[in-house]
Amino acid sequence: MNRYRTYIAAVLVLCVLVGIGLFSSRFVLYLTMRVMILSIFAMGYNILFGRTGLLSFGHAAFYAVGAYGTALCSMHLHTHPLLVILAGAAAAALFAVIIGFFCVRHTEIYFAMLTLAFGMLVFSLMWNWRTVTGGDDGLSGIVRGSISLGFFAIPIMKDSQYYFFVLFCFAVSVLLIHRIYQSPFGLILAGIRENHIRTEFAGLGVKRYRLAAFVVSGTFAGLAGSLGLLLESNVTPFAAHWSHSAEPVLVSLMGGLETFSGPIVGSVLFVVLRELIERFTHNWMLWFGLILLAIIMGFRGGVVGATSVLLKRFSERP
Amino acid sequence: MDKPGITRRDFVKMGLLTAAASALGSGVMKPVGLWAAAPKIKGPIKVGYQAVLSGTLAGYGEFHKMGAIMAMEEINAAGGIAGNKLEVEIRDSTLAAPASIQNVRYFVDSWEADLLAGVDSSGQALAVAPVVGQLDRVLMVTHAATERLTEEEVFKKGIKQVFRICTPTYQDGNAAAFVAKDLPATTWATINPKYEYGFTTWKMFQETLGKLKPGVKFVADSWAPFGTTDFRPHINTIMDAKPEGLYSVVWAGELITMIKQAKQAGLFDTIKHVLLPVGAAMDVLEGLGPDMPDNLWISGRYFFLYPDTAKNKEWVAAFKKRWNHYPAYVSETAYSTMYAFKKAIETAGSKETAPVIQALEGMELDSPAGHRVFRKEDHQAMYEVPWGLTATDPKYPFKIMGKQIVIPAKECFNRPPFEGPGTTPPFKS
Repeated sequence: MNRYRTYIAAVLVLCVLVGIGLFSSRFVLYLTMRVMILSIFAMGYNILFGRTGLLSFGHAAFYAVGAYGTALCSMHLHTHPLLVILAGAAAAALFAVIIGFFCVRHTEIYFAMLTLAFGMLVFSLMWNWRTVTGGDDGLSGIVRGSISLGFFAIPIMKDSQYYFFVLFCFAVSVLLIHRIYQSPFGLILAGIRENHIRTEFAGLGVKRYRLAAFVVSGTFAGLAGSLGLLLESNVTPFAAHWSHSAEPVLVSLMGGLETFSGPIVGSVLFVVLRELIERFTHNWMLWFGLILLAIIMGFRGGVVGATSVLLKRFSERP
Repeated sequence: MDKPGITRRDFVKMGLLTAAASALGSGVMKPVGLWAAAPKIKGPIKVGYQAVLSGTLAGYGEFHKMGAIMAMEEINAAGGIAGNKLEVEIRDSTLAAPASIQNVRYFVDSWEADLLAGVDSSGQALAVAPVVGQLDRVLMVTHAATERLTEEEVFKKGIKQVFRICTPTYQDGNAAAFVAKDLPATTWATINPKYEYGFTTWKMFQETLGKLKPGVKFVADSWAPFGTTDFRPHINTIMDAKPEGLYSVVWAGELITMIKQAKQAGLFDTIKHVLLPVGAAMDVLEGLGPDMPDNLWISGRYFFLYPDTAKNKEWVAAFKKRWNHYPAYVSETAYSTMYAFKKAIETAGSKETAPVIQALEGMELDSPAGHRVFRKEDHQAMYEVPWGLTATDPKYPFKIMGKQIVIPAKECFNRPPFEGPGTTPPFKS
């Protein structure tokens, strides 16, 4: 029963997304792409936060490394989208290995502060190294090449074409993260969250698993950064700023920390709410903050968490 | 139920389905509507305008708004553009590149703007240009000054949708060098913003002054990041180098802070020649009031006491009456943008992008700032803005431009093709 419900929900979401891609206006396409990119960012982040129980405040650094890696690769080497995205994600993974190596030695507030410090380090690197990163102005005017597969090429220049590329990456990411959650590795991560001492006594190298989770989630952040760069054709150092690191935290909290689909729902809320509020007032941050407060105080376990508890209670009634 | 919700096999199926859907989606083209270029203009003409309306530089945004709204009111009262109502929506650009891109997307795809205008920072302008090209809407830049916008994006890359109605960095770098060459100072230093605008103007100033007056030395530079509130370290760096002249394109609220702190540190007592290319902004002049020292060289993209024409005087008086302010340069550029759009649409007989571009290229416009011509090659408006020394005038509660020098745009604006000899000043003819 439960299995089929999930299955149907996933297919339904997919149909809606494909439908949006085929029939929607360019603006809706753009917003949906932003939602999917933010979802990848947040779901990857949630491997670390919701699953392993480590609160990182520096994930924007990996997002930015992904974006800069992609930008630099397409400016200086080649514009093949698969190659540049791979370059971005690989660069993010590399940074995640280095930064993670130092950070996973600590937990809780110390871990959060360390990631924050490393994140800002990456930010200042991008901000000051003007010859490579363009300094405060960042890199702009990056064009999307065609996905050439030897004998034929798929153009993704137009937003309506690029949409399906983002959708493909989104679907693959969701599948991958779902697999990770179901795998022994994912279960060990949950074990670390629940009781890391007990996990250690079970003979598992907690630090190694933490590092692995860190790198995996950093890589997804890099992927999101790459896709975001190709969408906006522009990146500035503020992509690495700690204020951007707060986005996946907020999105995860809004949607539901310990749920699988929480970050996706959170991303939808985040992008759509902001878009709506901005139409009425320039002070969108104030209203957005109030709504956020209401969601976090009112929905325990996020929107998805609270809703599923409600649904369960409803269905258990005789 | 203890079983996991979905098996591996299900996932493979779903993955294949997605891949198939993706391939199908990019292959199948949406039917293209048959909108043949209708000769008659239908519906209101919508202009999406963005300027900074938050943070320490919000003063600029307000002045943008005043100019744009005033032009809209006037045009609509006089029958609109070719009989159609002009609508302007103003959004906060927050000075961040991602926000400016999102605004453009919103304007074009959701609000259905016919034309775009505004944009404050150079970084934003460079980020927005390719997007505007992709969305195919005319963007009139009213404030961002980087020459790379018109030289590279428009001229070299061929993004024909972008125009600029304000003076570019040529006014800040090249024209400043023409002013500096006649000053006795031979050593120069700068406190400049740590982004595109700051780097590019200082480079241009050095290159042009070096050619005009061989032997000048550039002894120190200090780079103030966006959002700087404490300029004292920068001021100390400059004062330690003991230059005879200071050059700074720091702008808006930051310039007010810098001048106040420089005054406290006694900078104006030791450095006698100060060039502030964007010092003649009304928010700076009004904000400093009598605190603005006398005898500093200032300029901008327009100054309300120049040119001395009836059109300008009438406009300044009307502006003062409407808003109880003297117009800032961004008010003039925003105001004139609406009239440039009006003239272009009425000439083209259409609000579609391609004919409007064609009408704007080479178009002449009589505006409060004087006679403008949009250069065909790079879409840069050619017109003159004076440089002048700050002076006290009992008629105004703030400092004005006393002695004025005008460097003709023809002499100080770089010329196409922007590469090789004869494209940067000084020109032989």
